Amino acid sequence: MKKVTLILSLVCAILAIILAILPLFKLAFIPAILALVFGIISFIKSRKDNQSTHVVQVSFLLVIIALGLSTYKTVFTVQEVGNTEELEQREKENEEKALEELEDLDIELD
Amino acid sequence: MKHLFTTITVLLLSCASFAQNNNAFKAGEKLTFSAAYNMSGILTDIAEVKMETSAVNTSGTTLYRLKCSATTYSNFDSFFKIRDLYESYVNPKTVAPYLYQRDISEGGYYKFVKYKYSYKTNTVSSLIRKKSKNFASGFWDRNNTIKIKPGTRDIVSTLYKLRTLDIHKAPVGASDTFTVLFDNKEVKCSFKLLGKETINTAIGRKECYKIAINVTNNNVLKGSNANIIWLTADENKIPVYAKFKIAVGSGELKIKSATGLKN
Repeated sequence: MKKVTLILSLVCAILAIILAILPLFKLAFIPAILALVFGIISFIKSRKDNQSTHVVQVSFLLVIIALGLSTYKTVFTVQEVGNTEELEQREKENEEKALEELEDLDIELD
Repeated sequence: MKHLFTTITVLLLSCASFAQNNNAFKAGEKLTFSAAYNMSGILTDIAEVKMETSAVNTSGTTLYRLKCSATTYSNFDSFFKIRDLYESYVNPKTVAPYLYQRDISEGGYYKFVKYKYSYKTNTVSSLIRKKSKNFASGFWDRNNTIKIKPGTRDIVSTLYKLRTLDIHKAPVGASDTFTVLFDNKEVKCSFKLLGKETINTAIGRKECYKIAINVTNNNVLKGSNANIIWLTADENKIPVYAKFKIAVGSGELKIKSATGLKN
């Protein structure tokens, strides 16, 4: 049981770190909280059995980094549209072609 | 993900059976939305969607150009870059389309679709173009002539047509079905007026028509009554909020700004 919670805590912490780096950083909060819960369970059990808690501490460290990074990005990231030059170029070309096509069409407005 | 923006556009479709003139929008209108993807209850903004109108002069007449574009935010560009463009050239009064162009670029996938409507023969000349290494031009083209039912539109013009309808005359619970040509197939799209609801938006607190959308013959949208659009209950009938459910999750579309409104 202790090993299972320890492994789950580590896996969730690593997942949280990965998500925190990716653009879907808001999702990192879910595995981070899970890692924290599993980590605490594992930590309490290890302390009871007088066993080493080093691995759990690594998991906690990863969680802190993931939570810190996600919180920072959530607060300070400004959503901006990327480079749209190519789209504008396509738009212009399409409009020019469309005007030519429209001249050939039989348009009767009611 | 590939179908996300198609879905967003399809989602915004709805219809009623009254024909009338356009009193909802004019040339120069610009609506900006933010599209968010919902995963485990956490919403992540992924793209900006714009809907713009402009007047286009040909030698004989003036048409409206209805343009919808979707662009991913810069932090998503390196993962899944989307630059989609949907255009429809329509009759300013009846919003009947004459020319429709769809030019999409989604994470390396490119597709161009063009429909030329002929109302005398009830046909559409279609061109579908994809990137292909097997052709010297670098593109694979397929031309077709499709027989359509009277009243068949494209996605963009249907969305704008919806805004010109007298929704206030329709009773709560009323439903209707209409036909949209998408990927050379006629898709049946039904809608149901669920009632009125007042919601908070970026352009203020608005009383809205709440309309559920259901698409048949197509697997883009999922669930029944899971795809809902809120249109302001005024003359402009601006789409201010939408919720949609697709195969890979659900999402939202929220208005950010609206300028150049007719009323």
